[in-house]
Amino acid sequence: MPSVPASRRRLGKYKFGFRRRQIGSGALPVEEANLYSSRPAQPDSHRGHPVNASDSHSSFFARNQFLIYRLFSLSGLIPVGAFLMVHLATNASVLAGPGSFQSRVDLIHSLGPLLVPIEWAFIFLPMLFHAAVGFVIIAGGLPNVGSYPYVGNVRYTLQRATGMIAFAFIIWHVIQLHWMGAPLGGGKFDPHHASSSTAVALQPIGVAALYAIGVLSAVFHLANGLWTLGITWGLWTSPAAMRRASWVSVIVGILLGGAGLGAIAGMRRVDIEQARVIEDRMDEVKRMLEGREPVGGPAVLGPGASPALPVSATKTSEGG
Amino acid sequence: MIKAVSPLDEVHDDEPPVERRMVHVRVLRQDAPGQESYWERHAVPYEPNMNVISVLQKIAERARAEDGREVSPVAWDCNCLEEVCGSCTMLVNGRSRMACSALVDRLLAESPGEIELRPMSKFPVVRDLKVDRGRLFRALERVKAWVPVDGSYDHGPGPRISPEEQEDAYPLSECMSCGCCLEACPQYTKIEVVRRDDESEADFEHRRAAAYDRGFLGAHAISQAVLFNGHPTGKMIADERLESLTSAGGIQMCGNAQNCVAVCPKHIPLTRSIARAGRAATVWAIKKLFDR
Repeated sequence: MPSVPASRRRLGKYKFGFRRRQIGSGALPVEEANLYSSRPAQPDSHRGHPVNASDSHSSFFARNQFLIYRLFSLSGLIPVGAFLMVHLATNASVLAGPGSFQSRVDLIHSLGPLLVPIEWAFIFLPMLFHAAVGFVIIAGGLPNVGSYPYVGNVRYTLQRATGMIAFAFIIWHVIQLHWMGAPLGGGKFDPHHASSSTAVALQPIGVAALYAIGVLSAVFHLANGLWTLGITWGLWTSPAAMRRASWVSVIVGILLGGAGLGAIAGMRRVDIEQARVIEDRMDEVKRMLEGREPVGGPAVLGPGASPALPVSATKTSEGG
Repeated sequence: MIKAVSPLDEVHDDEPPVERRMVHVRVLRQDAPGQESYWERHAVPYEPNMNVISVLQKIAERARAEDGREVSPVAWDCNCLEEVCGSCTMLVNGRSRMACSALVDRLLAESPGEIELRPMSKFPVVRDLKVDRGRLFRALERVKAWVPVDGSYDHGPGPRISPEEQEDAYPLSECMSCGCCLEACPQYTKIEVVRRDDESEADFEHRRAAAYDRGFLGAHAISQAVLFNGHPTGKMIADERLESLTSAGGIQMCGNAQNCVAVCPKHIPLTRSIARAGRAATVWAIKKLFDR
C-alpha cells in the first residue's frame, strides 16, 4: 500500500494544527493508528522500502491501475471508436457506387508512405492496448446475469462478449483483407480495385454473415462503451442523465449498425465486372495526373467515361 | 394449492387432521472456514407473515433436518430485524438481500415450493450462513469514511449544511454496510486468506489486510467517500479519499453493470455516487498531473 506514507505526509501537513493542540492529551498515537492505517506507524526512514507483502506485490500494473484503466477507456473512443466510425462511413459510401468508395480509398491511400505508421500509431497499437487491458478486465470479472438479470447487467455481459467477438473478428478481418494477411493466404483487398476486390471477398454468404456478426458486435461494443465511458469519466452522473445518454448510445448504435450492414450489403451488390472497369479508369486518371504511364498502355478516356472523377485524387496529386 | 373441501368432510373426526402446510427450505451449510459445503433440507410449519429470520429460528428450534436426522442448528447473523443494521445479508433464492425483510409469502409467490438459503458468495464463510465481512469494513477504512473530528477538546460548531446538501447526503448516509451491492457486483470477487500454520495471528491479519487492500473497494465504500467528500468538515481530507479511490482496486474497477443500485435494500443512488466519484477522480487526476 504505497499510498499510506504519501497520504500520511499530506495529512500531517493538514492535521498539524490538530496535532499541536493534542500533544497534551496523549491521544495522538491511538488516533494515528485508527485514522490513517490499521498498521502501527512506521518511521519515515522506512518509506519506499518493501516493508510487507503488499508492497512487494504491488506490480507496475497495480501501481498505475487507475491511469491504465482510464487510458483503456479513452482509447476505446479515441482513436479506436473514432476509427470505427470513419471506417464504417467510408465503407457505406459503396452504396453510392464503386466510384464513390474508390475515391475515398484513394484519399486514404494518398497518405503514401505515411499510411503504415499512421495505421500502427492510431489504429493497431491502440486497439491492441484496448484489447489487452480488456482481456485483463474480463478475466477479473464474474458475470452473474443469471442471478441478476437486470438491463445494466445484461449490457455488462454483452459488452464483454461483444468485445471478445469483435477482437476475434478484427484479427480475421485484417488477415483476410489487409495486405499484411497476404502471407497467410489473405490480403484480398486491392486499394486500386477497392469495391471489386472487397465484393469478391464478401461473396460467400458465410463470410458475409460472419462480417455482419463481427460488425454488429463492434458497433454494440462502441455504442455501449460510449455510455459507460460517460459514467467512468463522470460526464453523466444522475440516473436521468444516464437514461438520456443511453438513448444517445442507442441512436449512435443504430446509425453505425446501419452503416456497417449497409456497407456489407452494398459490397455484395456491386457488379464486379462493371466496378473493375470504373476502378481501372480511375486508376488511369490518377496515373496520368501523377505524370506516370498507365500500366495497360495509353489511357482510353471517352467523353463521360469516368463516372466519378476522383476529386480527392486530383487534389492530392497536386499537393504531392 | 387450495383444495375445495365440502362441509361434510369436516365432521369425520376419526380422520387424521389435515397436515399443516410446511415451508420447505434448502440451506447450503458449511461447518467451518475452508471446509466443504453441503446442502441440507429443512421444513418448518407455515405461519402467516413469516420472514426468513423466523424460518431460521424455527429451524434452530427443531434442530432436525427434514428427514428427521438430528442436526446442529443452522448458524446465521442477525440483529435489528428491521432492515437497518445490515447484518443478516444472505442469498435468498439466489439473490442477495436481507433475511429480515425477505418475507416468506412473497418468496413462495416468487418461486413456489422451496426457499433456498446460501451464504454470501463474495465473503469467507465462518459457518453456515455467517460470513466474515471484514473486507467490507476494511474498504471503509481505506476511503476514510468518517469526518475527522476526534479529539479531546471542543472543536466548536461545524459549518452549516444547507437543506439541499442534506437532501443530497441523506440517502447516502442510509448505507447500513449490508454488502448486498458487493454480492451482486460482477466486478467484486471473493478474497479469502487462510491462516498458515506457522503464522501468528498478527501476521495473518496483516497479510489479510494487505490482500483486501488490493481488491476492489466496492460500491458502498465509493458512495461513502462521496458522502464524506460532500460534507463541509469531511471534505478537508477529500484529497486522501480521492487518493484511495484512484489507487489499486479503486473506482476504476467498476464495470458499470449497475447491479449495486438494483439490489440496494435502502435504494441508495450508488451509481450516481460512482459517477460523481468518477468525475472527481477525473478532475483530481488532471490536477495531480499538472500541479505536480
